[in-house]
Amino acid sequence: MTGHPGRTIGRYGVMLVAGAALWLLMAGPRTVLGFDPGPLGMVLLVASAWGALYLVQFSARDEGEHAISPGEWRARIGFAFMLGAVAYFVAKLDLFAGPGAVDSADARAVARNLVMLGIAWAVLGQAMASRWKGRIQEDERDREIARQAGHWGHGVLVIGLIGLAVTLGFSPAHRLQWASHFLLANLLVLVLMLGWLCEYAATAVYYWRDRR
Amino acid sequence: MTGTPIANDIRRLRTERGEMTQQALADACGVTRQTIIALEAGRYAPSLELAFRIARTFGVGVEEVFRWETQ
Repeated sequence: MTGHPGRTIGRYGVMLVAGAALWLLMAGPRTVLGFDPGPLGMVLLVASAWGALYLVQFSARDEGEHAISPGEWRARIGFAFMLGAVAYFVAKLDLFAGPGAVDSADARAVARNLVMLGIAWAVLGQAMASRWKGRIQEDERDREIARQAGHWGHGVLVIGLIGLAVTLGFSPAHRLQWASHFLLANLLVLVLMLGWLCEYAATAVYYWRDRR
Repeated sequence: MTGTPIANDIRRLRTERGEMTQQALADACGVTRQTIIALEAGRYAPSLELAFRIARTFGVGVEEVFRWETQ
């Protein structure tokens, strides 16, 4: 992945666009620009993911760079994508708290953006699969790595759920004013996303350790 | 995935068969090239099925490709 100046510029360009996209997503309705740039940020984030995929395609073709397997690319891009989604969700979590949150237009916009990110990720996954069409994309080593990484994701999910259950079960009622059913539903989704994020991270680390 | 006691002679066998590429061996065995790289580097212990596939590709017995290496 080093050497060609065009690709180096492209790589920095994709990182710049991804950074700008995350900033626009985080800025949300409280932007100094006077409008909600969330949808624009989401479009840019998807565009940067496509850009990353495009660079992967060219680096593999031009450099004969096959040290990184399809599974590792999927884990890397998946981790970056999920990290962006989790950061966005956490930054906007306060919108889901409070009595009027269910009817809040801002909360609905965040939920809509997250659903759109999920759809974009599914489409991107299909595009990545077609990029390696005709080649073996997965074998027993990939499945072993996925199994081991799955344990990490499962562990985070269990810890998150136990943490939430203990908080709800053992806290006095007056200290659970914040725990509306709407916020709890969103916290459960966040725990699920954290589990996926950890699984992607563990997958990428296992592949990286295998290549060292 | 690291530190397997199973050593192998895949690289030597590839060389003896006219510099067979890692990709060619991977395609013949139904795995990714990265798995062949990991095997040659001793970072991955294959399943019994894959060990047999590799040995059959080279036309030799499993014990001629893989061996247990005691520390």
